[in-house]
Amino acid sequence: MLGEFCDWLAGTPVSQAFQARGWFVPAVQTVHILAISFLSVALGMLSFELIVRRSLPTRDGVRRFAQVFWLSLGVLLATGVLLTVTEPVRELLSSVFRAKMILVMVLAAVVGWLQTRVRRRPGGLDLAARHDGAARVCGLLLLLLSVAIMTAGRWIAYV
Amino acid sequence: MSSALLESLQQLPFAVTIAQSEWLFPTLETLHVMALTAVVGTVLKIDLRLLGLTDRERPFSALARQVLPWTWGCFAMAAMTGLLMFAAKAVTYWADIPFRIKFGCIALAGINMAYFHLVGARDRASWDLGPAPWRAKLAGMTSVALWITVVAAGRWIGFTT
Repeated sequence: MLGEFCDWLAGTPVSQAFQARGWFVPAVQTVHILAISFLSVALGMLSFELIVRRSLPTRDGVRRFAQVFWLSLGVLLATGVLLTVTEPVRELLSSVFRAKMILVMVLAAVVGWLQTRVRRRPGGLDLAARHDGAARVCGLLLLLLSVAIMTAGRWIAYV
Repeated sequence: MSSALLESLQQLPFAVTIAQSEWLFPTLETLHVMALTAVVGTVLKIDLRLLGLTDRERPFSALARQVLPWTWGCFAMAAMTGLLMFAAKAVTYWADIPFRIKFGCIALAGINMAYFHLVGARDRASWDLGPAPWRAKLAGMTSVALWITVVAAGRWIGFTT
């Protein structure tokens, strides 16, 4: 079923047009990687704050992080769709690709949860006093998810 | 670089191990991509502040203090993994044009950064809290262009080697 869909997608005029241009995939991948750069730095800095300082940043800090996160994620999804349309068999039939997509959804859910928690409390959350563990777990989760997603992204080419 | 030197590098035991292993090269590549994205992300964060596009309300010195240690740490990791991958396919990589472009742009980005710190940022105290002067903006713009080219050339290597 999925295999048939991939064959159909690969045969569409749009996919054929993308496939015919040798520069298309590397160019889109370049934009994809640049978006990963912004996302990974934003996530890395937030995780560092949560794990080492054991506190959630202020509402303003989370707002700035969320702007970078959702904008980068939007670019990643758009470029990801273009890459999938160009090479549907490579992406959609790969178990690593599917694992990556699930991890991306979990990451988005964790960030959404964090954003909602902070939005509800003026001045943000300070977990240092009562919930050292919660801030650490949240930071570790974000860090592990981003490392796992990047690892999966690279291993799609090999598995 | 002479082909004899490249070939002898490729014959070193660790290089042979990397080239023959099914998982070592992809693992190094994964670590390289992670480190390089962190380098590019942190450098662009500084550059965009210089260009007045982001972090405008933060003092430049505070941002640089927070970000640059990560840049250098990740650069060391990217360089180390890059060297190991290069050793495994030295002859192929050295003949590859995108590889040379990537290498050249990294060198130019280093020169640009050194110029900025030695000349462009000399009067940093006067603009630390406000917009950067044109010299700093020019260094930021050059850095953005060079690092985007590094990423693009790096990706092209995968299609030409």
